[in-house]
Amino acid sequence: DGSIPSGLDFHVGHLLTVIAFCPNTTEVHIYKFFTDKWEKLHVLAKHDQIVSGIDWSRSSNKIVTVSHDRNSYVWTQEGQDWVPTLVILKLNRAALCVHWSPKENKFAVGSGAKSVSICYYEQENNWWISKVIRKKHESSVTSVAWHPNNIHLATTSTDGKCRVFSTIIKGVDTRGPQAGASVDWKFGEQIAQLDLSPTWAFGVRWSPSGKTLAYAGHSSMIYFVDDVEGSPAAQNLALRDLPLRDILFVSEKMAIGVGFDCNPLIFAADETGLWSFVRYLDERKVTPSTSKASQLSEALGKLYGQSRQGSSSDTVEPSKPRGGAHENCITCIVPLRKGSESIVKRFSTSGLDGKIVVWDLENHITIPK
Amino acid sequence: GKSLTACSEPSSLAPQPGSVGDRGRRPSPLCEPPPRSNQKTQHCLALLVAGEMSSAAYLDTDENLEALISRIEQKSRKIETLLKQSKPVEALKTALEGSPLKTRDERCKSANWIVVHRAMMAIRDIDGMFNSLDTEYYDILMKYLYRGLSTGDRPTCDQCLKIHEKLTERAGLGCILRSLADTVNTVFVVDKSIVAYLQLVWLVAS
Repeated sequence: DGSIPSGLDFHVGHLLTVIAFCPNTTEVHIYKFFTDKWEKLHVLAKHDQIVSGIDWSRSSNKIVTVSHDRNSYVWTQEGQDWVPTLVILKLNRAALCVHWSPKENKFAVGSGAKSVSICYYEQENNWWISKVIRKKHESSVTSVAWHPNNIHLATTSTDGKCRVFSTIIKGVDTRGPQAGASVDWKFGEQIAQLDLSPTWAFGVRWSPSGKTLAYAGHSSMIYFVDDVEGSPAAQNLALRDLPLRDILFVSEKMAIGVGFDCNPLIFAADETGLWSFVRYLDERKVTPSTSKASQLSEALGKLYGQSRQGSSSDTVEPSKPRGGAHENCITCIVPLRKGSESIVKRFSTSGLDGKIVVWDLENHITIPK
Repeated sequence: GKSLTACSEPSSLAPQPGSVGDRGRRPSPLCEPPPRSNQKTQHCLALLVAGEMSSAAYLDTDENLEALISRIEQKSRKIETLLKQSKPVEALKTALEGSPLKTRDERCKSANWIVVHRAMMAIRDIDGMFNSLDTEYYDILMKYLYRGLSTGDRPTCDQCLKIHEKLTERAGLGCILRSLADTVNTVFVVDKSIVAYLQLVWLVAS
């Protein structure tokens, strides 16, 4: 407590009662909720280094994990056990994030090798093949997000840019009306590049229809972009407090951002499509800015040799977030969906404090569709 | 493929004026004015569009820098007038508007700093100042506060600290984050206050 944050690296919720997460180790733990408590069901131990990304496909019930050991495993449940299949990503740096595509026939892996690996299953040889998108990113790929059309992939990078690529693969993706009638993009072609953030970008997500794209900039900014593939129109929202690390679209017009404030932020769009910050979700928390401002001034004053009149304490106490569910940075937000609901009413968050918190929006706010 | 680039300072808690797809809002006075157009800059523009000149080089052509410097000199005269009329807040706004944030030229940045510093030091009623300062000025003011803190000059630091406390209360930690993180819109060329920045990062983190 207080020394090294032993946080949860990543978690995925499934069926509302089973959860998979990495407790900052080389393993993935699966817990199930039985009546009144959580019990550990399985431990997926195959990686040599910390697991940096997990995704659980809802229909095909496969778990994909990626790790700093530059490998990826696809886990299939056979009876009581989870059996791993190695996927060779051809990386020379750590894998950082992974997501199944909407049809669950592909998954995308972002890496520190400034590349994105798109993996698909080849039936004849019974293995997963990876095709790499190289030389398009200038730095590590921090997050990946699939457009509902199963072909367009958005990525964010520590070079500050958000990019959209085509991941069309012959034999896997059938060319249909959703692929775009006029333009035939090839695999790995960059459809759009958004250079809105002067610093690192994280947490890219598409809205349920794919019409809006959102991502977070490390300078306490959130960007909402409409019609990325056509004529992009961006809204840059400056946040009052600390930066975000991940975003979730709850509906077409409402999104939740999570990050260093340790408290989820609600964003909503009005009828004209203009996004704005609504409020923090967790009401128990004291907002950080006002209390930190005077502490900062005191500390700065000491640094610059200024004596402050009226200060009572000699030492500056590090300000801790008071109350609230999370005590440290929230790094991950995952939807919990019942069946095929289009609106997300519940979601879970995990963070560097080692906690997983489940949030229920149903009785607290009206979600605009 | 499509490309979208940011053009100016983001304003606090309000949609970005001047971005692509902007819904007809007036351009913010804080937006850097585009380079002045004449035959030489037209030629440079052609090179820029053809990809043979970087946008940084385009902004820093001699023509454009001379125009920037003369604009700053104009600002300086206007500020002196406003200060004589006891309008220090108007003077500060004028100083902050049209700041050369994207150029990499040291002279321009220093010239603008001198002008901002002059206006900043003339402010006596800081709470009063914030009552008439729009939120769109917050991010750029914060950047200049750090430039002020980096000088180490006692009266400057005292003033900057006083303003910093009030600005953080109003604008939040996000404003500080943006002044630390923005490497595109800067008030320094070489970051001379790297020590101040590191100290601040330590403070914010703790």
